[in-house]
Amino acid sequence: MKKHWLIGGVAGVFAMTGLAFVRVQDAQEMAAADSPESYASGQPIAFPHNTHAGTEPGQMGMDCQYCHFSAERSVDAGIPPVSLCVGCHQVIPGANLPEEVAKLMQYWNDKETIPWVRVYKTPDHAHYPHMRHIAAGIQCQQCHGEVQTMNVINQPDPAWGGTNMGWCIECHRTEGASDDCAVCHY
Amino acid sequence: MATATKERGALTHPDVQHLSDVNRDVLKALGRPGKGWWALLSLCMAGMGLFFAAWGWQIYRGIGVSGLMSPVGWGVYITTFVFWVGIAHSGTLISAILFLFRAPWRQSVYRIAEAMTVFAVMTAGLFPLIHVGRIWHAYWLVPYPNSRFLWPNFKSPLVWDVFAVTTYFTVSATFFFLGCIPDIAAARDAAKGLRKKLYSLISLGWRGTDSQWHHFGKAYIFLAALATPLVLSVHSVVSWDFAMSIVPGWHATIFAPYFVAGAIYSGVGMVITLAVPMRKIFGLEAYLTTKHFDALAKLCLLTSMIVLYAYLSEFFIAWYSGEEIERTAFWNRLFGTYWWATWTMLVCNGIVPIMLWFKRVRYSIPALFVISIFINIGMWFERYVIVVTSLHHEYEPWAWGIYRPSIYEVSILIGSFAWFGFWFLLFTRLLPPVAIAELKEVLPPPLRKQAKEAH
Amino acid sequence: MTMTDGIKRRDFLKVLGVTGAGATLTGCSTQGVERLLPYVVMPEDITPGVATWYTTVCEGCSAQCGMWVRTREGRAVKVEGNPNHPVSHGALCAKGHATLQHLYNPDRYAGPMVREGGTLRPITWEEGEAMLAQRIQSAAGNVLYVGQAAGPTMSGLVDQFVGTVGGRSVQYDAVSSAPLREAARIAFGVNALPRYDMGSARFLISFGDDFVEYGASPVAHQRGFAHMAAADEHGSKGRFVYAGPRLSLTGQNADEWVPIKAGSEAALALGMASIIAGDGAAAGPYASVLAAYDARSAAEAAGVSEATVRELAERFASEGPSLAMGPGVGSHHRNATAAHLAVLILNAVAGNVGRTLHLEGGPNSAARPYSEMESAIRAMAGGQVGVVMVHGANPAYTLPQSSGFAEAFGQVGFKVSFATAPDETSAMADLILPDRHFLESWGDSMPKAGVMALRQPVMQDVPHFDSKQTGDVLLSVASRLGSPLGAVTFYEYLRNAHQAMHMPAMGDFETQWREALKRGVMEHDIEMSGTVPELRAPDTALVFDAPALDGDGDLTLMVYPSSRFGAGEFSNAPWMQELPDPVSKIMWHGWVEMNPATAEARGLREGDIVTVASSHGSVDVPVWPYPGIREDVVALAMGGGHTDYGRWANGNGVNAMALLPAVAEQPSGAFVTMATRVSVSPTGQRRRLATNDGSNGDQHDRPIAPAMALADLGHGGGEHEGDHGPLKELQGGGGFIPVDAEGGAPAAFPLAGAEYGQYADKENTARWGLAIDLDKCTGCSACVTACQAENNIPWVGEEQALMGREMHWMRIERYYEHVDASEASHLDIRFLPMLCQHCGNAPCEPVCPVFATYHTPEGVNAQIYNRCVGTRYCANNCPYKVRVFNWYRYSSENVPDPMNWQFNPDVTVRDNGVMEKCSLCMHRVREAENKVALEGRGTIPGDGEIVVACQQSCPAEAIVFGNLRDPNSRVAQLVQSERTYRVLDEFINTQPGVNYLKKVTFHAVSGGHE
Repeated sequence: MKKHWLIGGVAGVFAMTGLAFVRVQDAQEMAAADSPESYASGQPIAFPHNTHAGTEPGQMGMDCQYCHFSAERSVDAGIPPVSLCVGCHQVIPGANLPEEVAKLMQYWNDKETIPWVRVYKTPDHAHYPHMRHIAAGIQCQQCHGEVQTMNVINQPDPAWGGTNMGWCIECHRTEGASDDCAVCHY
Repeated sequence: MATATKERGALTHPDVQHLSDVNRDVLKALGRPGKGWWALLSLCMAGMGLFFAAWGWQIYRGIGVSGLMSPVGWGVYITTFVFWVGIAHSGTLISAILFLFRAPWRQSVYRIAEAMTVFAVMTAGLFPLIHVGRIWHAYWLVPYPNSRFLWPNFKSPLVWDVFAVTTYFTVSATFFFLGCIPDIAAARDAAKGLRKKLYSLISLGWRGTDSQWHHFGKAYIFLAALATPLVLSVHSVVSWDFAMSIVPGWHATIFAPYFVAGAIYSGVGMVITLAVPMRKIFGLEAYLTTKHFDALAKLCLLTSMIVLYAYLSEFFIAWYSGEEIERTAFWNRLFGTYWWATWTMLVCNGIVPIMLWFKRVRYSIPALFVISIFINIGMWFERYVIVVTSLHHEYEPWAWGIYRPSIYEVSILIGSFAWFGFWFLLFTRLLPPVAIAELKEVLPPPLRKQAKEAH
Repeated sequence: MTMTDGIKRRDFLKVLGVTGAGATLTGCSTQGVERLLPYVVMPEDITPGVATWYTTVCEGCSAQCGMWVRTREGRAVKVEGNPNHPVSHGALCAKGHATLQHLYNPDRYAGPMVREGGTLRPITWEEGEAMLAQRIQSAAGNVLYVGQAAGPTMSGLVDQFVGTVGGRSVQYDAVSSAPLREAARIAFGVNALPRYDMGSARFLISFGDDFVEYGASPVAHQRGFAHMAAADEHGSKGRFVYAGPRLSLTGQNADEWVPIKAGSEAALALGMASIIAGDGAAAGPYASVLAAYDARSAAEAAGVSEATVRELAERFASEGPSLAMGPGVGSHHRNATAAHLAVLILNAVAGNVGRTLHLEGGPNSAARPYSEMESAIRAMAGGQVGVVMVHGANPAYTLPQSSGFAEAFGQVGFKVSFATAPDETSAMADLILPDRHFLESWGDSMPKAGVMALRQPVMQDVPHFDSKQTGDVLLSVASRLGSPLGAVTFYEYLRNAHQAMHMPAMGDFETQWREALKRGVMEHDIEMSGTVPELRAPDTALVFDAPALDGDGDLTLMVYPSSRFGAGEFSNAPWMQELPDPVSKIMWHGWVEMNPATAEARGLREGDIVTVASSHGSVDVPVWPYPGIREDVVALAMGGGHTDYGRWANGNGVNAMALLPAVAEQPSGAFVTMATRVSVSPTGQRRRLATNDGSNGDQHDRPIAPAMALADLGHGGGEHEGDHGPLKELQGGGGFIPVDAEGGAPAAFPLAGAEYGQYADKENTARWGLAIDLDKCTGCSACVTACQAENNIPWVGEEQALMGREMHWMRIERYYEHVDASEASHLDIRFLPMLCQHCGNAPCEPVCPVFATYHTPEGVNAQIYNRCVGTRYCANNCPYKVRVFNWYRYSSENVPDPMNWQFNPDVTVRDNGVMEKCSLCMHRVREAENKVALEGRGTIPGDGEIVVACQQSCPAEAIVFGNLRDPNSRVAQLVQSERTYRVLDEFINTQPGVNYLKKVTFHAVSGGHE
């Protein structure tokens, strides 16, 4: 009797390992881009998104696209040029984090660019046109999370799955957008 | 009473006196390996080293290390894949089909044949992996629920291949193992120490009771019945890799039967190639008699004729179709750049086997051995001809090109034989090369009394 | 308009962080951290992810076509023709595209350097200019400036500079039309190149003028030629006769080939003229000359039958308006000017002057004679030169040894090179002050009288190379010498020059200047006299006889400018090296063309290396048997055998100059390329030539590139498109049932029974497709390189190309149908641009095990690189063999930094082990779709909104992209033509979305070729 269990067990193990392999492979691909260590280094300036975009009292409640200026007309959302930050911070010393603003002014005076750590990145073989999604009424928060409530962003928001095709597809299907491969891959 | 067994078509083994001889003679093979065995094994190991080195380099550097190019996208790799799948066929044929057709002459050879089958499939299975450009994504051909909502394309013959080959491997492996159980038990009784432990584990507590024999018999017939259609299906599916395409020289309805026949032909050829030396080395002359080889040879003869017919009909149909492009493709086969491959194929598979019409040849072991080698070569070239000559000369004259296999492809080809040989050598040392139990069945009854004593 | 203000070089480097240099397939593994690098100050005309276009002028050759340069985040990623340009009209040649590879060429000089003891030491610009100024001072007026055709303002600056420092400037054009200019001067007293109006000609005869390859403006000429030679909707078609010893690419486009003896153009032209002129009155002062010629003498001299000469003459007179073009650079022999004069006379007597041949408003193309250079060499050898400055030209390579340039140059005390990248001349220079690439610099050009085209920097200079525009250098050196030239920078100098030219009538200069920078051209209306000049009596004695040839070999050597390398300038552009030569289809290495009969007589096969020897030198080069060349002529292309020109140029091919004497033709002084006889002897060695021609130009009676006789036009000749005759027969015999798709067949996708999901919505989805007019295609291969530039297609190198692994998504197939070098007869060579056919019923799709290739709802056969496993089954099953495979990591291994800056960020860069092929410029389709969606104009871009890369650069306008489902689209209209066919469709029912319009021939076409 024991023997039968043995046989069954062995067979089972083989089957499991087989399936496990492919699942792991698959999972790895999804995980590839947002492995935590990538972001260990942290942002050069502790930029508090909430202070700028937040709507709480004492927060500026700025529109995302004030800084990410090309989101509605380009595939890239755009990162604000240093000059844009300075535009305000010349007159606003920064009540909460003056030392961080000082860093900014340092970059500006050195005519240096700010080496922001890239947090959100879809694989290069998947094309994501920001303007089409904004035109379709998608809120930034749907992918990037409640940015206006976040302080320094060093990690992708749990809401984000931009390295996992299933995440894109699910939305495309529910929203009735095309799920033709060549819409994003070309 | 001896007649009884005769009627069942069993071949007698005049030199065998006692059933105990059977145990002794057969199990002797499992004894201490001789120098020759070690020599062969190390040779195979070396070959495997070459095999994996070449493959590893190809994965690291890129599939470009092969000689493949445009328009010839498939070459030695696919050729060798089909070759080994073909080899794999005779095993199940001999054990399953001949079993169902009650052809007891199979008993002495089927163990070898089945082992060969299992290892050949193991070898063949590697080649689809070897030939893809991104092996690390090869698992995408397996249908499994994934995050992308994507499935393989079930229209694609390559996906059918995945199923065909894995199924065939599973069934033939099980069948092989099942058939071994009683003999493993016999080996267990003879063995000591670690071997004994191993055998007692994998013999699944076989004691040879009537109920066990009863179940064994049932299971065996059942599996035989299950395996039989696979013999036909697997190579049909493999042939569809070609037949389903529109490449002139591939797109032909005759392919499935043609490939199956070819497979059996090459398989039997390989059985002979392997049986002859084993018979010598392990002194199994008494069990693998010339009569058995005669039977194998006849099978070869039959299949060779089918294959030759297939060749001729292909050429005929190409001409008869009046399709200029089709005609050019076959004309080019005979007289184009790769004429030598085609003629090798025709000579080895069409001309050489004609000798098998002669009894003297069928009964001469050396002659059969040589012929079987020719068969193996011929069948490899058959696939090479189909794959390469068809591709290099297709619809678009501008895109015609010449393919030259690279050293890496050749290494992997050679290595595949080493890999196969490695497993086969292990088999000869770990499992009884001839089916003891079944042999005993067909030995003349008068011996039975002694048998009881012996056992 | 420009980026000169705004970002500094370092910021520019950082910009790359925004997209990375091209998206890569392996991108999904972001090991380590990636940085986002914003601009410090944002240039107002840049939006990340949106291309910015700048106009400029191509400096690839003397034609100076107008360019539009596509830049992304400050990187130039693609050049295209500027439709506003009055000469090139928006098209561009292959070389034009390849200029990008000069811009990003890793072999460029890293910065100013001085040679010390044989090795180059980097110095600062400060030091360099100081050194130059000091040397010029000490040279005391013995300065020599060797230049090449540059814009008027630059030339002006050079003259002014040389004037102030004392010395002389010479210009040397390796490929020059001096004899034509001289002939025009002699015949009509106009010192300018005539302007050919091919478009309005109906009968064109070229006496070896290879206008498709080089000359005044290949792009413009092809456009005109297509107008003239392609059958129009009324079924009328101009006739093109090519008279010359070798069929160049231009010749291959002819309807008839008159294989005349080398150097007999004058005789034939005058023979024809005398027949036409009759009593000779029309020939004016040349009547006496004509009297000496008649059909017989002409036939004798040219080696053709008398009847041929007569027939030609009659047709030339009757099938007007006709046009005759004189010998090209390939046949510049010792009597070239006379030959050109003869052709002008022929035009005159046929009344073509003022009709198809104009002497006003002609192209301002390179036409400076070699004789100037000759005297300069003498001066250098005579030690009369203290400082020599070389700019643009590369005489050490483009002149034969026998010219003695190298020796003379070596004797000059101080040699300065302004070369952007190393060349044979700068290799001998003492001081190297690398000029900027033209895409990084200011300038102008005068493509024709009254038109000014402006050249502006389209990007910051590539940071890897510390270069400085030579104009700036000259200005600063001049001021160092205490004689400033009125401007600090060349930009300022240029503006001033144009301000000076500015007429108040044209309004405010500032606005006009900006407008000009936007449009790329500035047109000053100059009044044309409109008077048709009369033939004038020659002021110099000219011999019209066959030219003298050196040496006693049995074969005449022809040296012609390569359509890929020009005179060698483009030899270090891998795109050009790997572009199959339009004539021979050979990549990378050189070859000598030889008639198959000649080769056979010597027991030579393709690839046999022979020694070609003249009395001036010899080269070892593989043979390529070519039916399109006379048995007594062998031909070598220029541009091979570089020694110091960079990693891709060195060692490829041979330098034909080694065989030539340094002779200046009289009276024009042009360099003589057809000067010597040669002997050919086998060496016994062989070398395989990398070609993509798998069947030696034979289509084996398969209807790959069928043709239609002009006579059949209008009678529904040829099989109607969408008709599946053979399949129908099959069906009758119980065979499978073909998709019935008659009537707008290509729009039939999705196939009946497959309309589900997104595929069902036919109304709101397009069916993208192409129509390619084979009667227009000249085989120039501009599309091939345009496609390569647009789609990040890597080059693979000669070794891989030899294996048949080149990656082009597009290839031009060239099939010989009828080529006869022995006598005048009709010529039939077919060109077929072969690319993915985007079959509606694609064989590649069902066999892919993972759906990596499949059909989009728009009917495009898509290839999803990141899904591809690399079984190559699709390529095996593709009847057109247009799928190419990444056997290695070509895109990363073959493309060194900074060449990868050219990668198009909108197109995925493919990695090892994936299949790829024409995507029908999917990214351009998406871009247009995004545009219409944002503007709320539905989902399908309008007709003409999407222009695919190949179509954009086609000078003959043979390619049209569009929506086959929209009955009003141009492509749908074209598909209705009776000439439309789809390759192999009738046999294998692939239902391609790419439609071809058959070539139209004057002769009846026969057999499977139909």
